[in-house]
Amino acid sequence: MLLLLALPLAVTFYLSVRSCALQMEVVTVTESSPFGTKEVVTQRAVMGPDGRALSVCRFVGLEYFRKVLGLDVGDGDQAGSAAPPDASGAGAAPAAASPQRATEFMGALRFTLLYTFATTPFVLLLGFALALGVNQVGQRWRPMYISASLLPFIITPVVGALAIKWLFRDNGLVPYFLSQFGISLFWMAQAWSARLLIILYGIWHVVPFAFIVFYAGLQSVPQDSLEAARIDGANAWQRLLYVTLPHLAPLFVFVTLIHLMDAYRVFEPVMVLTQGAFTTSVQYLTYYILLQENNPYKASAAAVLTTAGIAVLLIPLLMRTWKEQRRGG
Amino acid sequence: MTSRTLRRSLLATAVLLATLPGVSMARCDNLSNAKPGQINIVGNVFPALTHIAKEMESCTRGGLKVQYKLVPSPQNDTETRQAFGSSGKSAFDAAVVSMGTFTTLQSAGQLQSMTDLVNKYKGKYKIEDNMLVKVNGEVMAIAFMQNAQNLFYRKDLFDKHGIKVPATYADMMAAAKTLKEKEPGIEFPIAQTFAKGWDSATEFTNIFAGYGGRFFKAGSAAPDFNSDAGVKALETMKAMTAYMTPNYLASGSDDVMNQYQQGKAAMGVLWASRASRMDDAAASKIVGKMEFTAAPAVIAGGKSATHLWWDGVVMPKNLGGDRETVFQVLMEALDEETTAKGNDLTIWVRSSYKPTRFGSGVAASAKAGAPQWPSEPYFSLAHGEIGKIIPDVMTGAMTPKAALDAAAVAYAKAAAEKGFLK
Repeated sequence: MLLLLALPLAVTFYLSVRSCALQMEVVTVTESSPFGTKEVVTQRAVMGPDGRALSVCRFVGLEYFRKVLGLDVGDGDQAGSAAPPDASGAGAAPAAASPQRATEFMGALRFTLLYTFATTPFVLLLGFALALGVNQVGQRWRPMYISASLLPFIITPVVGALAIKWLFRDNGLVPYFLSQFGISLFWMAQAWSARLLIILYGIWHVVPFAFIVFYAGLQSVPQDSLEAARIDGANAWQRLLYVTLPHLAPLFVFVTLIHLMDAYRVFEPVMVLTQGAFTTSVQYLTYYILLQENNPYKASAAAVLTTAGIAVLLIPLLMRTWKEQRRGG
Repeated sequence: MTSRTLRRSLLATAVLLATLPGVSMARCDNLSNAKPGQINIVGNVFPALTHIAKEMESCTRGGLKVQYKLVPSPQNDTETRQAFGSSGKSAFDAAVVSMGTFTTLQSAGQLQSMTDLVNKYKGKYKIEDNMLVKVNGEVMAIAFMQNAQNLFYRKDLFDKHGIKVPATYADMMAAAKTLKEKEPGIEFPIAQTFAKGWDSATEFTNIFAGYGGRFFKAGSAAPDFNSDAGVKALETMKAMTAYMTPNYLASGSDDVMNQYQQGKAAMGVLWASRASRMDDAAASKIVGKMEFTAAPAVIAGGKSATHLWWDGVVMPKNLGGDRETVFQVLMEALDEETTAKGNDLTIWVRSSYKPTRFGSGVAASAKAGAPQWPSEPYFSLAHGEIGKIIPDVMTGAMTPKAALDAAAVAYAKAAAEKGFLK
């Protein structure tokens, strides 16, 4: 079990401290295509004796970590920098450049944490309220209510996010509905609404998970404790507070744990709803580095940072669970 | 035989029987020196490619099985690169690629030359010179379709208000101003793909080229896009946002197409491959009203501010199958019959293609001097960095010059990581 967990992490960490690059040489080639022929100065990989491109691998240590975190201010800004000497801020260009990189990761981290901590309480609250509600429904209709409540969680995240996007974009139902009340809101146009949109999507998507866990938990609340409480004169609210909730406390911890881990890795809504505008997340950054920059080594560094972030988030909860186990066991 | 395998073989037979009548001319019946086995091809998913995929798979007969894996972009790029770059045999015997993927594969030396095969089968499959993508005389890809972003405009509204077809971006913005004031229901006349990342970076590339800007210093990978032309390009883009929906930072091709179809936007530069969807009665309220022409220039009398793309087939160096068989299957699927059957699906390169109204914008843009999409392998890195800073410039959080300088520094670092810059 430990091997299954440790192996991928070890491989990712190994990749994050290395870098392989093809050896490139400048060549002038004649290119022709359906659009004509031209001479182009470009670069091509140097071929090895086996007919494959020569790949140079080296150990880079924490270089990629520093780059992703934006801590490489001033490193090699001179080499290859093409800020042309101009009167209005020649020196300012490198200084302005690095804060840009630094804020990219910090911005992603900030939004990821905002999303995680904003969705968790609502997921717990709404999930529990839904479980209580469905628990009151008659046996005949319960399966229908349960299936309906589970739908947002079952839908493939990308499809769900697309459906939500179509609701909120121009000409969508929500802007139309709001315009009937005279409210004109462009959801993806400013930071607060774009973030709210993703948070709303997150709550909508995860509430069913909390619901089904709490609903199962509600079935196992000891009936005799409830009876005893009722005989003692406790009203419904007091029974809920003093019998049901303490019984469900471990489930709350469980749902919080799972949701914190999942929320930290938020990706599909960012990709589909806003494409990262105002709402870049840590996972989205890793994806972007991997696919757009085609650099699996830097992406591994970003992935390791993400994993470290999750671990930090979970430490308080894990410690509490561990203490409880020691006390109880 | 278990019931499951029985069902599977019945299903397979049924599928085979169902597809046979669809093959009017017996495809792949007379292949020369064909070796039996399985041929795997990978490619993107859109109507023209699904059409070609069917044609390729119809070559399944005798001992030969052709399988086309439809993978949406950008995953198809990743899968192709992984397969072609693996140290063993490639998982795919051929791939349908866009220019961008071709550039990456070619610069890494992972493609094999098809020159001898082309010469051998030129007559049999009527391979036209136009279709050949050559590097230093060697055929590295066979292109079959082209695409470009061209101008979409509502001819009915333009005629109604006496507006001339825009020849420059300034004309387009003036037309947008008129429509915004005079046409009720058109609040945001321009719709264009300004979504953060790839889409907006492509807009920048188009407009920047229109200003005569150069992305890199001559003969090297050092960045030069943080020049005056770059600042002008960003300023033009910012000026356009006044006429676009405030949701422009999340507007991808799908959303722009929707805005046109719903009659909420009246003009803009969008992919020609979306043109036929304007007349899709099931989704469009403006059937027959949208016309297409060359993308506007940014300088009066300048070249059309867009780029031309081609999609084609390539074969890897680490090919596992028999190269003659693979090549013939590819050419069978890209013959004149395929073009004729799917004429309206895209803008085919073959001369037998009958241009439709939907393809007129690409031809017009090419005629108006639009260049081909940049083919340097380090271009996508610059493209990626620019896509990241555009939202900050559009919202005014950064000045164009500062943003471009930041992108230039970030690009230089990324290029150094990949070995393009020392």
